[in-house]
Amino acid sequence: MADLLVSGIIYGSIIALGAIGLTLISSILNFFNFAYGDLFTLGAFVTLLFLGLFGNSGTIAGLSFGWGLVLATLLSVVIMVVVVLLMDRLFFKPLRDIGVTPLFMSLASLGLAFILRAIINIFWGPEVRYYSPAIQISRRLPLGIRVKPDELFVVICALVLVALVYMFLKRTKMGKAMRAFSDNSVLAKASGVETNKVIMWTWVIAGALITVAGTLYGIQVQLRPIMGWHFLIPLFVAVIMGAVGSFWGAMIGGMVIGISEEMITGLIQNTFNSMQIEADMSVYKPAVAFVLVVAILLLKPHGIFGKREP
Amino acid sequence: MISYFVSFLIMGSIYAMAALALNLQWGFTGLMNFGIGAFYMLGAYTSAILTCPATTEHLGGFGLPVLIGVIGAALVCGVLAFLIGFPALRLRGGPFAIALLAIHETLLLVVRNESWLTNGVWGIRGIPRPFFEMVNPRHYGYLYLIIAAGLLILIYLAIGKVVRSPWGRVLRGISEDEDLTSMSGKDCWKYKMQSFVFGSMVMGVAGATYVHYTGFVSPQVFNPLMSTFIVWLMVMVGGTGNNRGVIVGAFLVWAIWVGSDFLTDFVPAAIATRIGFIRMLFVGIILGVTILTKPQGILSRKRLTVDWYL
Repeated sequence: MADLLVSGIIYGSIIALGAIGLTLISSILNFFNFAYGDLFTLGAFVTLLFLGLFGNSGTIAGLSFGWGLVLATLLSVVIMVVVVLLMDRLFFKPLRDIGVTPLFMSLASLGLAFILRAIINIFWGPEVRYYSPAIQISRRLPLGIRVKPDELFVVICALVLVALVYMFLKRTKMGKAMRAFSDNSVLAKASGVETNKVIMWTWVIAGALITVAGTLYGIQVQLRPIMGWHFLIPLFVAVIMGAVGSFWGAMIGGMVIGISEEMITGLIQNTFNSMQIEADMSVYKPAVAFVLVVAILLLKPHGIFGKREP
Repeated sequence: MISYFVSFLIMGSIYAMAALALNLQWGFTGLMNFGIGAFYMLGAYTSAILTCPATTEHLGGFGLPVLIGVIGAALVCGVLAFLIGFPALRLRGGPFAIALLAIHETLLLVVRNESWLTNGVWGIRGIPRPFFEMVNPRHYGYLYLIIAAGLLILIYLAIGKVVRSPWGRVLRGISEDEDLTSMSGKDCWKYKMQSFVFGSMVMGVAGATYVHYTGFVSPQVFNPLMSTFIVWLMVMVGGTGNNRGVIVGAFLVWAIWVGSDFLTDFVPAAIATRIGFIRMLFVGIILGVTILTKPQGILSRKRLTVDWYL
């Protein structure tokens, strides 16, 4: 029970990190970006590329990786920010200039998702990869909770980044402009907010967050070219559940999805085991996200943190 | 060579049915269905299970006639679309697309994992082909082409008829401006549901037509690329809202996909095993270029205006 909660929190903090970037894109650029999941994969694989150059160079205090991975992640963030800015320049900006509908932008991003996944598969192949071959031993904490040092690192790293983004949005002038743009873009433009700058910063933040999220997922689980596509649905569910554009909504939505995916499938599995029914429920984890979004949308169509329609 | 061409025409006709159905949902009603594969797969499996001979590997052994299988596929897809429509049609645009994508992934999980029902990844073999005993097996392709093309023409006429009717004009109104249409006293939800259910039934028929041609079905062919994305590409290339264009688009895209097999000869042997992904890249780039240069579709001659419907 406690174990399920812990693994849910770990998974949830990675979803929350990705969902915050996605909620910013969805509200500021005003479309649902289906390429975001494959950017998650690309970020993780670019980190792997740099890790191959530096090596892990030892390990830090019980973690399965060393400073090599930290450096690789930082470089990967830089590369990925350049990639998303290029993507915007070559692909989304021309579409914005034509003035296509948000649905059309979503469709274009789906095409981009397949292009990205094809590139990842061509370069790295379909095999499962790891950052580090080491196997970690769980540490015992009070209340019968077992946790690996890596898992603790993932949660702390995600929370620190969330706090940093929150500070950026709350304290800086650009953050304020972004929030204004997300609330009401027409009013923001009329007040002299520069659209291009806001969009650029949105991509920078979202690109950086998704790269770190992908890398954390790679540390915690493994690297597979399809992982981002499967991650896309929980991300979207977190964004919709928390209401598009809501920072805390995405954060809490991500946590709720992560915890409920682990808990619900785990509890059903335990029930089946005790009734001696043979079934593997863990494969249905992604389905939980879907059932949740339907339930939420039926009860609260504008998301948990959504404002009521005027 | 000629049999190769016949099989190309049969597959093209099957995809054209799905593309026409998507055109009804997206081109005329504005429903962004990213779950075409869900209905295509459901239709395929329903018909396969209803018609295949007795076996111990999976549910089946009903041995019903092929016609009953196809009708069953349409009905099951219609019922699923109706049930999904209740929560999903409350959503507009992006969230609707995400919900449908999630349904596709969930159904794929069920098909892959519940082998008592579908024989899992091994698939269902020995699906009967209609009138197979009546002709020389070498010439069977011609006969099946007549069946598939006949169905395609029937569906083309039916969809052409309904979109020109008063019912179709309401759909067009919904896709242009839903609020305005409901202010004119139309129950938009009802019309969207009818369009969604009808389109999904056609997708189910396309799936059934596919399995009775190949005689075999497994989850691999229903990945999002081959069952959803390629159909979107066909509609985009053919011109949204243009039924004749969509049929031409379907055959054109399928020709490009089949033809891109020649790429195998040009790539180094080391990555020849990843040829599927090179083709995926190729198709993704075609969509990107289409969207950037001709958002109205390559084959659309003029913008559709109101008088086209009168």
